[in-house]
Amino acid sequence: MKAVKFDPRTKIALLLFCILCTTFSGTLELQLILTFMIAVFGLLAGKYKYAVLGLVCYGVLWGTSQLILQSLTGIWQAMFAAFFALVHKVYPCGMMSGIMIGSTKISEFMVALYRLHMPRSIVIPFAVMMRYVPVVFEDWQYIKDAMKMRDVTPSIKGLFTNPSMTVECVYVPLMMAASKTADELSIASVARGIENPNPRSSLIEIHFCVQDWLAVFVFLAFFMTTLALRGGFI
Amino acid sequence: MSKQAGNATAKLNVKDLITTGIFSALLFLALLIGGIPFGINPVTTFYMPFGSALLGGPILLLLIAKVRKRGAVMIAGILSGIIFIAIGMHWAIGLGCALGGIIGDFIAGIGKFKNMKLNTLAYVLVSLGSTGTFICYFADPQSWNTYMLNGKTSEGYIQTMSANAQGWMLPVILIGTVLIACFSGFVGTKLLKKQFEKAGITA
Repeated sequence: MKAVKFDPRTKIALLLFCILCTTFSGTLELQLILTFMIAVFGLLAGKYKYAVLGLVCYGVLWGTSQLILQSLTGIWQAMFAAFFALVHKVYPCGMMSGIMIGSTKISEFMVALYRLHMPRSIVIPFAVMMRYVPVVFEDWQYIKDAMKMRDVTPSIKGLFTNPSMTVECVYVPLMMAASKTADELSIASVARGIENPNPRSSLIEIHFCVQDWLAVFVFLAFFMTTLALRGGFI
Repeated sequence: MSKQAGNATAKLNVKDLITTGIFSALLFLALLIGGIPFGINPVTTFYMPFGSALLGGPILLLLIAKVRKRGAVMIAGILSGIIFIAIGMHWAIGLGCALGGIIGDFIAGIGKFKNMKLNTLAYVLVSLGSTGTFICYFADPQSWNTYMLNGKTSEGYIQTMSANAQGWMLPVILIGTVLIACFSGFVGTKLLKKQFEKAGITA
């Protein structure tokens, strides 16, 4: 099956609906249906493994939480109820944004955000941020190796035996690397004309097509159902 | 570009925007990584803001020291808030981060972004954002939990809840978060003085 191409704006809209649905949904069954819909969307967008794994994990989680809530009583039930409420509210949106980020290029995001008339002071930091998060983990691996070579243990144990040293050895290289990257990246992007005040053009074209309207319609219908089941008012 | 440096009223240029983006990524990860060990454990879920507040201080302080213009803290707070909402955290966390960033930006601006105490206060405000969920929870704990139990609340359950959730927990969470964020800011101040100012990477 060939992956269907969705407009980045559709994905943003769907994420918004996911957030609204999890905020307003009254029952766990609805959350299960929502996760299933997200998994279907993931399959369509070409994230096969992610979608299937995400759905299976949620199924297990769903079963466990039902079991725990039926079998426990009193204070433990209250504790777990609060905890699982948090997990069930987080999970569908987390899965949706995972699919969204995994299936969209940063440049597509930027085009979409400019089309939505977001100001440059939000779009540029946002794009840089999305790109930099994976780099932090990469940097962290290098820093850990370097620390080992210099006999500093980047571990919980080191944090207790030698706190100030460990804190410095973690923060200083990480933040030095970050500020150096910031300098280099701004030089590179100024050289490529990011300061040009004219509207940005792009080789990537994004349109709203049939599949986008369909996806938005399905999620909107689901959201309406959620609201109706809840009692009809916000 | 360099002429504008140090002028607190100047607009953010591209370099500032990129710096803000990179440090927002670090700040977001610090908030997330600090919060996870508390968040996944049902007993300590309520103390999640403590963990979040612990790590971010040096990062936000260096961001302020590098940019020193109105808007950097605001953008960092808003972006972290957006991403928090996007990965499915309760909307109150995102709103809290954004509000904390906006107010923190003004407060740090009072000291022209050079007063370390006010800068630390800005960080405290941003990290208080993650208590948003719990403010919501304690405002109406019953509806939060009935959602989980599909309306099958028993009399005993409601009694346990009201005996357990606990007016004192919210002040403890808020005050604890402020204290830990202050500590984080203190460490950040030390680090800035000892390392980053010498290295000349602050503006």
